[in-house]
Amino acid sequence: MSSVDQVPPGATEFTEGVPRHRRRVPETAALAAVLVLLMVFFTTRSEFFLTRDNLVNVLFSAAVIGIVAAPATLLLVAGQFDLSVGSGAAFIGVVMAWSALNYGIWQGILLSILAGAAIGIVNGVCVTVFRINAFITTLAMLAILRGLGQIVAGGQTIILDGFDTLGNSRPLLEIPLPVFLFIAVMILMALVMRYTVFGRSMYAIGANAAAARLAGISTRTAIFFGFILSAAAVVLAGLVLVSQLGAASPQAATGLELSVVTAVILGGASLAGGRGTILGTFIAVVILGVLNNGMTLMNLDSFWQTVARGVLLLAAVGFDQLRLRVTEDN
Amino acid sequence: MNADVQTQSGDAVSLRMRGIRKSFGGVEVLHGVDLDATGGSILVLLGENGAGKSTLVKILAGDYTADSGTIEIDADHSTTLTPSSARRLGVRMISQEFQDAGTLTVAENISLGRWPTRGGVVNWGALQRRATEVLDTMGVNISPSATVATLRVGERQIVEIARALADQARILILDEPTAALSQQEVHKLFEWVRRLRDRGVCIIYITHRLDEVTELSDRVMVLRNGSVALIDDTSVVDRRQMVQAMVGRDVGSVGRPAVVAEAALGSTMLELESVSVGDQVVDVSMSVRQGEVVCVYGKLGSGTSQLAELCFGLRQPSSGTLSIAGQPTSLAGPGQAIAQGVGYLPPDRKREGLLMIRPVVENLAAASWPKLSRARMFITRSSEVEAYDQWSGVLKVKANNPASAPISSLSGGNQQKVMLGRWLERESNPLVLAEPTRGVDVGAREDIYATLRSLAAEGKAILVVTSDYEEAIQVADRVLVMARGEIVGEFRNDDVTTANLIAASGG
Repeated sequence: MSSVDQVPPGATEFTEGVPRHRRRVPETAALAAVLVLLMVFFTTRSEFFLTRDNLVNVLFSAAVIGIVAAPATLLLVAGQFDLSVGSGAAFIGVVMAWSALNYGIWQGILLSILAGAAIGIVNGVCVTVFRINAFITTLAMLAILRGLGQIVAGGQTIILDGFDTLGNSRPLLEIPLPVFLFIAVMILMALVMRYTVFGRSMYAIGANAAAARLAGISTRTAIFFGFILSAAAVVLAGLVLVSQLGAASPQAATGLELSVVTAVILGGASLAGGRGTILGTFIAVVILGVLNNGMTLMNLDSFWQTVARGVLLLAAVGFDQLRLRVTEDN
Repeated sequence: MNADVQTQSGDAVSLRMRGIRKSFGGVEVLHGVDLDATGGSILVLLGENGAGKSTLVKILAGDYTADSGTIEIDADHSTTLTPSSARRLGVRMISQEFQDAGTLTVAENISLGRWPTRGGVVNWGALQRRATEVLDTMGVNISPSATVATLRVGERQIVEIARALADQARILILDEPTAALSQQEVHKLFEWVRRLRDRGVCIIYITHRLDEVTELSDRVMVLRNGSVALIDDTSVVDRRQMVQAMVGRDVGSVGRPAVVAEAALGSTMLELESVSVGDQVVDVSMSVRQGEVVCVYGKLGSGTSQLAELCFGLRQPSSGTLSIAGQPTSLAGPGQAIAQGVGYLPPDRKREGLLMIRPVVENLAAASWPKLSRARMFITRSSEVEAYDQWSGVLKVKANNPASAPISSLSGGNQQKVMLGRWLERESNPLVLAEPTRGVDVGAREDIYATLRSLAAEGKAILVVTSDYEEAIQVADRVLVMARGEIVGEFRNDDVTTANLIAASGG
C-alpha cells in the first residue's frame, strides 16, 4: 500500500531563487572608519599630527607604496601577485643613476624604462608561458634583481645630482609631485579596472580562471599585461625614489613588497582573486602611512613599525579567510 | 580489527530523522523531511536532480547542518551532527566525488584519519595489516601498497567501502555510486552492499536509476522538490508509481516535442565526419542543422563529454573533419571556437562556467565584452545591464539586483539560464550544451527545455550532450546513442523511447 503524497503548496517556491543580496559598500566604509579612528587617536597623542604639513607628509611618504599598490591590486584581483617590486624599484634606481652618470639623464630614463620592460616580460613569460606560479617567479626575481642592483652599483650608493624634479618639486599648493603621481596612478588604475574589457577580464580570471577561458577571454594575455603594468609602476617608483634621495642605493625599498601586499589585502582584495577595489587599496595605503607617521610622532622605535605592518598583514589575511568562509557557506 | 568487521549484527542500529528543513541562500530545499532506517536493511532514496537527496544525506553525515528537525541514532538524541560526531556514531558516506587521498596508498586510505600509532609515530606495520585484513575479508584483489590514483574507478570505490568497513560503519550512505562503473563493477558493488546489509549495517543508497531500486532495496523513499513523495516496501511498489512520485505526473505525459519536418530545417551548422579522439571518441559522424535539437545520449564515460569538448576546441580530433557552418575547421582553443560562432555550456557550471563571486550581469555578458564595449576596450555596467534585460525575460531568470548581486546568490536553475544567456547575447550558433539541466530543479528544467525548443525554431542549431535519457526524450528531435566512444544508435520521432535509449546504450 503505497502513498503518493501531494507536493505541498509551497514546494514550487524553491525554483524561484530569491537572492539574498549583501552589499559590499560597508567594507570600504569600515576601512574608512578605521582610518578616521586612527587619525583621531594620533591627533589626541600628538599636536603635530593634524597639521597640513604633516598630512601632506603622510601622503608623500606613502606615494611609492601607493604607485606600486595600484597595479598590484589589479594583479591580485586576477589571483596573481608580484613580490619583485621592492628589489625591482631599487634595481631601476641603480640603473637610472649609473646610466645617467655615464650617458645623461634622458638616456638614463630610457634605459630604466627598458629595464622595467625586461622585468615585466620575464615575470609575465614565466607565469603565462612556462606556467611557474607567480609566487615562485617573483620571489626568484626579488633575489635576482637585488643581486643585479648590487652588481651594477658595485655595492655602493650612487650619488646622482640634477634629477630632483620628479621626487621633490612642488608644482601646486606646495604639494610634492609624487603625491600627484600617486593619486593619478590610482585614478588611472581605478578607471582601467572599472571601465575596460581588460579590467573586467582580470576580475573574471580571478573569480574562475577555467570559466573565464571558456568564455573566450585570453587569460594568459591579460595576466601578461598585468605584470607589464606592475613593472611600469616599479619604473616610476624607482625613479621617484632616486629623485627624492638624490642617490640610488641597491638596498633601497627593502620590504616594499610586504607593504604593498599588506595594503592591497587590507584594502579588500581577496587572496583567492576576483575581489578588490582601488578605493579600498587607496584607503589602506593611507592607513599604513598614518600608522607609520603617527608611531614616529609618538617616538616609537621604527622597528615597531615593521612589527605593526606584519600584524596588520596577518589581520587582513585572517579577515579575508573569514569572509571567504562566509561566502562559501552560502 | 577483523572481529569488528564480522560482528556488527549484535546491535541493530536505528535511525530516525524528523522534520528536517534546510535552506540555501533563502531558498528552502528540504521542507520538513522524515526518514527512518534500521540496521540490516537497504533503503533506496530516489529522486530527480535537485530533489534534495544529497542535501538530506549530507545533513545526516554532518556535512551540512539542518535549519530545524532532529536526528536520532539509536537512543542518542541530538539535533545536529558534525562530521566528527556523525563519524563517532558510525555514519559513513561514499559520495559521487571521491573523498580519498589519491596520492596515498590503499592502506593509508583505508585508515585515513585514524592511522595506528606507536609512541606518536605512525605504525606502518599495523597500518598494512589492517588493510590486508579488511581487503582479505572482502575477498578483493587490490594491493594495499598501490597508490589510489592509479586504480580503476571501480577499484577506488571498493577501497572506499573497505575504509567504511574498517571504520565499523553502522550507517553507510552511498550517493549514486554506480554512475561511473562498468556493468561488471556494478554487480560486484551490489554484492558488497548486500553483504554489508547482512552484517547488520544500515544502508542508504541514493540513485535515480529505477532498475537499481528493484534489484537492491528493501524499502524505497522518493523525494520530490524537497518533500517525501512516496515511502514503502519495494516489494509492493511498481515502477510506474515510483516514476510518478519522482516527476509528479503520469509518465505517459513525458512530453516529446512536436515533430519538425526535415524540409523546415536550415543549413548544417555543425558537422563531424569520422572524427576520433584517441579511443574516447571513435569514428563519429553526425550533423546538426538550424532548427533542430540533436541529443547525444550516453552514460558517464561513454565519450559524450569528450565529443562536446571537441566541438569547442577543448580537445583536438586525432582524425576526421569538424565543420562549423559548412566550413571544415580546426579549433585550437575555446577562443577560436567562439570566434567561429560556437557556444558551449560546460557540464560542471560551478567549475567551468560561473564567475561565482561576480555579479549576475557580468556572468551573462562575459563572452560578449568586446562586442558590448566601445572600440573593443571601454565598457560600462549599463551596457551589461541592457544585455541582461534583453535576455532575462526570454529565459525567465529570476534575480534581484542583477547588476550587483553575485551569481552565487541564484538557484542552480537561474544560474544555468544566465549561462545560456551568455551565448544568446554572443549570438552563438551552433550551441553545444553538455548536461544542460544537471543540478537544475524541475521547474527551471521545463523552462530551459521550452527555451531550447523555441531557439531551435528561430534558427539555432543545438547539440545537447546528456547522460539523462529523460532529458533526451523531452528535448530532442533526434537522439544519437553513444557507448564506448561510438555512436551505436540513432532514433527519431516515435522511436525515441526510454526502452530504446537504455537498450541501445547497453542497459
